[in-house]
Amino acid sequence: MRIELDRPRCEGHGLCEEAAPDLLHLDDDGEVVIDVPEVGDDALERARAAVRVCPVAALRLA
Amino acid sequence: MTPLRRIVIVGNGVAGLTAADTLRADGFDGELTIVGEEVTPAYSRPALSKALLRSDADLTAHELPAPDHGAAELLGRSAASVDAARRLLALDDGSVLSYDGLVIASGSRARRLGMAADELVLRTLGDALALRSRIATRPAVVIVGGGPLGMEVASGAIEAGCSVTLVTKEQPMLRHLGEHLAATIVAAATARGLRIVLTPEARVVESHGRSSVVLADGSAVAGDLVLTAAGDIPNTEWLRGGAAWLTPGGAVAVDTRGRVSSSIVAAGDVAAVPTGSWHARSPLWNSAIDQARAAASALLRGDEAPELTARPYFWTEQFDLTIRIAGRTPLRGTPEVVDGDSSGAALLRWRHDDGTATAVSVNYRIPIPRLRRLCEPDHAE
Repeated sequence: MRIELDRPRCEGHGLCEEAAPDLLHLDDDGEVVIDVPEVGDDALERARAAVRVCPVAALRLA
Repeated sequence: MTPLRRIVIVGNGVAGLTAADTLRADGFDGELTIVGEEVTPAYSRPALSKALLRSDADLTAHELPAPDHGAAELLGRSAASVDAARRLLALDDGSVLSYDGLVIASGSRARRLGMAADELVLRTLGDALALRSRIATRPAVVIVGGGPLGMEVASGAIEAGCSVTLVTKEQPMLRHLGEHLAATIVAAATARGLRIVLTPEARVVESHGRSSVVLADGSAVAGDLVLTAAGDIPNTEWLRGGAAWLTPGGAVAVDTRGRVSSSIVAAGDVAAVPTGSWHARSPLWNSAIDQARAAASALLRGDEAPELTARPYFWTEQFDLTIRIAGRTPLRGTPEVVDGDSSGAALLRWRHDDGTATAVSVNYRIPIPRLRRLCEPDHAE
């Protein structure tokens, strides 16, 4: 599955990075950088957690 | 442990939703049922008093990605009672569900101070949409309560062009955040026209079906619309049979893994978690998520599941201030300015006696992982 970011919605909380630091991070300006967009089965649970924890639903799995 | 075949989750907020996700992620492939009082899909509650009240609001700001937990969703229904000995849950429509595991995530409801139907509160999506349409007509708004919710609503109403009076027992945000941040917020609020009325006691009284706010000295506060933001009450009336689980405040007291018993766990606004010598609620977005993860894992794995680690994160958006806080509050005294300047955009820190700290950003964009690093014992920046 693929992690998709709706950038205008993102408020830069960074709870996603906390849930899946190996898949994405926030840069120095607080912008989300998706390091691993295509998620394999081994990382799917963490990707789901990152999507779920976002309070403004800026991330989704497609 | 005997494998669980049927798990029922009471509550379809973010705690219930996260519990469902976690059960599936941890390998539960049995029958999963979610009972949700509201008919709408789960949504982000923090958005209701923030993005959703703005006049230019994106009306999808509260929407969460569709769930993929594969649970049977019984929406528009609520729990009526539980028989823990026989593991039966009765719903308000008379139906009865049997369970091997029960997740209590029934949340809380807004506390009302009056009796009339026109007293507004803000807890549900329906409340938010009703408030949004009311403030669009620019009434004179009277808000009772100076906590984060009351102040966020005040900010939204002022932005919509309303005149707003906020009635409170003490300086807004003081009890929640402490003197320094409360002063910052009150300065921004009064500069934008918020009228603050301090009173030892406010009552919401009804006259001819209309609510009005009466102060301790007997005078009434003029206004067209009354909104009460005076806290919330855990939804635990349906747990009468389990009164021994409840705190004096009516929340469900859980252990360090979110358990009430081996077959019942609780998470979110309804739950009180151990905090040293007593139990306390932590009615925050990511506390609900962390608690739900811990509770769901404990339901499946018992003592092998990790204990809950409290990592409070609070944020508020009001009067053109975005404030994010990692660590405990309220905050006493003057902060150390880590970056920026204390009168504008700033990164602040309060050190506690135990070596930990609370880090606060005011109009300063910083992701949580960095904010949390500033809280670590004797972190040097």
